[in-house]
Amino acid sequence: MEVTLLVQAAEDAFRILENARIQAVDLLNTAAKLTSETRSIEERKVEAILSGARKSKSGFQNFIATFIMLFLFWALLSGKYDAFHLTLGVICSLLIAAIGHNLIFANVRVGDIRVIIQRFLAYVPWHMYQIVVANIHVASLALSPRMPIEPMIMRFRTKLQSDISWVTLANSITLTPGTITIDIEEGEFVVHALSQKLADDLNTGEMEDRIAHVFMEADHIYIQDVLDVARIFAELK
Amino acid sequence: MIIVRSEDIIIRTIARILVPFIQLYALYVIMHGHYSPGGGFQGGVILGASLVLLFITHGYDEVKGLVTENMAIVLSSIGVLIYAGIGLLCLILMGNFLDYSSLHALLHVDPVHARSLGILGVELGVGMAVMAVMFSIFFDISTGGISPEERDNKE
Repeated sequence: MEVTLLVQAAEDAFRILENARIQAVDLLNTAAKLTSETRSIEERKVEAILSGARKSKSGFQNFIATFIMLFLFWALLSGKYDAFHLTLGVICSLLIAAIGHNLIFANVRVGDIRVIIQRFLAYVPWHMYQIVVANIHVASLALSPRMPIEPMIMRFRTKLQSDISWVTLANSITLTPGTITIDIEEGEFVVHALSQKLADDLNTGEMEDRIAHVFMEADHIYIQDVLDVARIFAELK
Repeated sequence: MIIVRSEDIIIRTIARILVPFIQLYALYVIMHGHYSPGGGFQGGVILGASLVLLFITHGYDEVKGLVTENMAIVLSSIGVLIYAGIGLLCLILMGNFLDYSSLHALLHVDPVHARSLGILGVELGVGMAVMAVMFSIFFDISTGGISPEERDNKE
């Protein structure tokens, strides 16, 4: 008798729990739907604001930025700083900037060009260091008598979004000794790697993260953030 | 009918960024032709090559905004006109053909300076003509002599 009661009570408890679970899931689903809806509305609003700002301002801004870059290039080439040649340089730079500013800044995402340049300059030394490390690794592979190479072709899908960041990543991979970008097929990188270590280094995605940081691709979790959170979590535990 | 257009994102992006710098380099070669190696012909070829690069990588639609085939024909004629015009101007001013020092009366500078300016003008003309002819040769080869506008009209 007591056992039947106990079993019944347990069944009741399970049923209540099940109901509560279903309710909670429903609640969460509605909440998620609501947040995603508000989020998409917010995103659309932000997009409208940004595109409006982009239209009115960016044409002229791009023109000025192109002109400054081209004129610096001219000054570097020319080496003659008298009034006549500088005037020629200004005229030529203006002409090329007028017809070419849409080319250089064709696919610029939202973001300040100065911040991008700053971050890019910070990226270069890190990449140089990576090149040195990979160089030593490849040299050790080539010099060791067994020559333990494992050539492989790996594919990975990138999280980057703009063409300029794709190209930067592809060229960074190619510049690093031992790895070569063969092709980009709609966001999927085809990379040839000389050894498992080089492929693993690439697969950690640190280079990708840094490039995402340079080109302000914000909708992307940085590996550094994850590592920080992991440390805090370990401390709490 | 072949309209070339690269699908490789790396080539397209790098070409898009490099083309303005190539064009500026071409103008530098033209403008400094009387000081350093280079001149109208070399600069014009580089300028034409930059347009060809844009054509190969981005197709005709992108180049259309810069130069069209008709514009290339007009530009090449203007370039030759500038060259021959400066030469004839020297003849009219009692010099030899392309004897720039006789331009000094017109430009209000001393004859040495007039030579420098005169050769700059001639190089501009040569550069313009060479650029336009380079582009139009490539255009004719790649389209088989039928411009995309004509083809659209036919269809």
